[in-house]
Amino acid sequence: MVMLSVNGQARQVEVADDTPLLWVIREQLGMTGTKFGCGAGLCGACTIHLDGEAVRSCQTSVVDAAGKQVTTIEGLGAKEPHVLQTAWIAEQVPQCGYCQSGQIMQAAALLARNDNPTREEVVAHMDGNLCRCMTYARIQRAIMRAAGELRAQKGA
Amino acid sequence: MGKMDRWPERATLNRRAFLIGTGATGLLLGYSAMRTGPHEAKALGAGSFEPTVWYTIAPDGKVTVVCGKAEMGQHVSSAMAQIVADELEADWRKVAVVFPTNDPKFNDPLLGAQITGGSWSVRMNFDPMSRAGAAGRVTLVKAGAEIMGVPEAECFAQNSQVIHGKSGKRIGYGPIVGSGKADRTWTPDELKAIKLKPASQYKLIGQSVPQLDVPAKTDGTAAFGIDAAVPDMLYGKPVVPPVRYGATVKSVDDSAARKVPGFVKVVVLDDKTATITGWLVVVARSYPAAKAAAEALKVEWDKGPNAAVSDETIIREAKRLQLDPSAGQFFVKAGDPGAAVAGAAKVVEAEYFTSINIHAALEPMNALAEQKDGHWHIYTGNQFATRTGGIAAAALGVDPKTVVVHQHYLGGGFGRRLDADMVIPAVLAAKDVGKPVKVIYAREDDMQMDFTRPLTYQKVRAGLDGDGRLVGLEHDVVCAWPTARWGIPEFLTPSVDKKGALDSFVVNGADFWYTVPNHQVRAVLNEVAQRATPSGQLRSVAPGWTFWAVESLIDELAAAAGKDPVDFRLALLDGAGANAVGAKRLANALRTAVGRSGYGALALPKGQGIGVACVSSQERATATWTACAAQVDVEPDSGAFKVNRLTIAMDVGTAVNPDGVRAQIEGSVLWGLSLALYEHATLEGGALQVANFDSYTPLRMSQVPDIDISIIANGEPPSGCGEPGVTVVAPAIANAIFRAAGARVRSLPITPETVKAAIKA
Repeated sequence: MVMLSVNGQARQVEVADDTPLLWVIREQLGMTGTKFGCGAGLCGACTIHLDGEAVRSCQTSVVDAAGKQVTTIEGLGAKEPHVLQTAWIAEQVPQCGYCQSGQIMQAAALLARNDNPTREEVVAHMDGNLCRCMTYARIQRAIMRAAGELRAQKGA
Repeated sequence: MGKMDRWPERATLNRRAFLIGTGATGLLLGYSAMRTGPHEAKALGAGSFEPTVWYTIAPDGKVTVVCGKAEMGQHVSSAMAQIVADELEADWRKVAVVFPTNDPKFNDPLLGAQITGGSWSVRMNFDPMSRAGAAGRVTLVKAGAEIMGVPEAECFAQNSQVIHGKSGKRIGYGPIVGSGKADRTWTPDELKAIKLKPASQYKLIGQSVPQLDVPAKTDGTAAFGIDAAVPDMLYGKPVVPPVRYGATVKSVDDSAARKVPGFVKVVVLDDKTATITGWLVVVARSYPAAKAAAEALKVEWDKGPNAAVSDETIIREAKRLQLDPSAGQFFVKAGDPGAAVAGAAKVVEAEYFTSINIHAALEPMNALAEQKDGHWHIYTGNQFATRTGGIAAAALGVDPKTVVVHQHYLGGGFGRRLDADMVIPAVLAAKDVGKPVKVIYAREDDMQMDFTRPLTYQKVRAGLDGDGRLVGLEHDVVCAWPTARWGIPEFLTPSVDKKGALDSFVVNGADFWYTVPNHQVRAVLNEVAQRATPSGQLRSVAPGWTFWAVESLIDELAAAAGKDPVDFRLALLDGAGANAVGAKRLANALRTAVGRSGYGALALPKGQGIGVACVSSQERATATWTACAAQVDVEPDSGAFKVNRLTIAMDVGTAVNPDGVRAQIEGSVLWGLSLALYEHATLEGGALQVANFDSYTPLRMSQVPDIDISIIANGEPPSGCGEPGVTVVAPAIANAIFRAAGARVRSLPITPETVKAAIKA
């Protein structure tokens, strides 16, 4: 049995310690916004936050998440839409949409520590997240838009 | 599909009435499934007659459009709804879309099936969807006028309301629907007589309204096939053989797998449809358990007859077939190309290759199968729901009518989800264990068992006369035939030499819009490849390789004739005879891209060059006029090169949703770039040598060049925009490399090694 804190809620799951967190989130907790893409940490579709850091949940054992704050796409904008989610809609980023939870979670970790990234910083941070529809230009634009919005909020 | 004019269903739609009837949930509006009489609108309302439902209007005014097209990111659901809502004069904020099951009543009216591909959706459904919306509007105006007690002729519709201009009285669509007074049957003639809006009066068409599927794709709520769940569901992980096709299971040792907690059973699949061979499914209580048990499983296979087939074998066979004049069938035969080339002042011969490529949609193939209440329910995302339901039925040995496919969002389609393989392990495992089973391919399974873009070999021989004019062209295309594999005669095209049907999905595009007096195109099936690597429809299909050859060749010919490649193309696009209009639209697109790229005007540094290509993808009958100018930088010693900028121009006729069109072009152009430079699968020992995103490497964000896109919307009917961008990029890059470094590459993908080799040659 493993005790988890997922999106601010205590959850208890009956799984082997080495079970990838991805499948615990999807199957045991029934939250399907986090996606399975490659199972090898190569595509980023399963990206979540562990204590605010973006990690690949397919490469994270459930036991390694115990005692940490797990945040999924469902928790990111639970109270009000995250500035990235609003920007994603404004820029009409998603096509098939399958990678976008992971893209948004990956980008959110960047903006949490840097609300004024350069284009190069965005590319370096996002390059591990594959988008098979290749919406990369819009992802970049949405991140820049969200960063600007964050700075405006702080300035206000 | 090869020639869309041949579809018999087109005539059928013309004979169908349009029914509007009040039911328990509001107003239903749809085409009748068959010829109809005057009383059927009432029957429709009473629920005793089922039409092809196109949309409904609820008493609260909510308009729900039923979209028989798969939503895989092309935002087709929004486009379909926009077309209906514009003529209906509906308030966009009250419009939603739902996806139907595989019930034939939701079939595409022209195609007679639920199939999404070919960049056909908007093009083929624009008129029937527009008329469906208009018929609804006219009916609602009449009923609204009646309720308000004003003359119908003085009323108009706007924003989901019927308005009486003189008095300012108005009534919403919701209350009209609630009144039950909006029933009407439209005869086919009445429907045809409706005058549709001129483009100047469009309110939604032509507007970049927000796509309906986007919000759910930003908060994790969009439901893909892989997200489906039912009570008591088990999980299945395929175990696939070490060859792509033809293996059989010899023995299975599950002693170690049984020790994995949660293990339920190993099912050896006996697929009566022969879609898959030598597969097993490990069923367990969780997917990680199924995966662990699959890894512990010991299976012995007989690798079957294709175990020695490789890229090399396929190419050797292709070259042998090409030399055999009796092989294949003709797709184009005009004039006497043999004589024209033989008598030419200059002859250019070349061989062009494209590698095997795989789809690698980010959502791995999956399906959930459940037997309930005498029906088989399949939950998945699929581009060809009607065929896929039929395949599931055949695999199970049940009546196809008892199989219900529940459509979901597709986490990437690209043609991969036209196929039905993923439902087979799900239904067979569920049948075996007597419980619902969700089968999910591991990424490795998904890649190794892809229905690939086939390896293609093309041989061309062209002749120039003394003035450098192209007088004759022989073009042979040798590869596996993806569409012939389906075994559906309607999808094949008669050969012009009357040697039976051919798969036009290997030669589309080769029947280009250049005027060449003596021209032939031969399609040759490579049986060795067909057996070893069942091929599929990969985004853009044939034009992805035919234009690679044609547009590279045209540049080679221009060079041989000592002419500028743009001028050379424009001269061939003279619009003579059957090439009227189309050739000129293509010339316009070419001029646009060329002009915006700075071609011929910029003084480029040494090692840089701009190359062009123009295409009429997808089919001649469904062409979208597309051009690309690529600017590259080549380092001559190493062959290393960089694509700096891609300038794209696309004439789409009418852009229903301009931002949606732009998004499709952005994605498809990067697909074209990815296929041109970064994606390469090989076959060895009968197996695809790919495993995951480290060995098959689609383009990432850091590899995106500058892209400039011009959309030409000149008021012609809309044409597809999801695929042409894929086809135009590779030849433009190869032509740019030639301009920059004098090196001609003729194989895809283009790598520094192939460029270096071409520089030395």
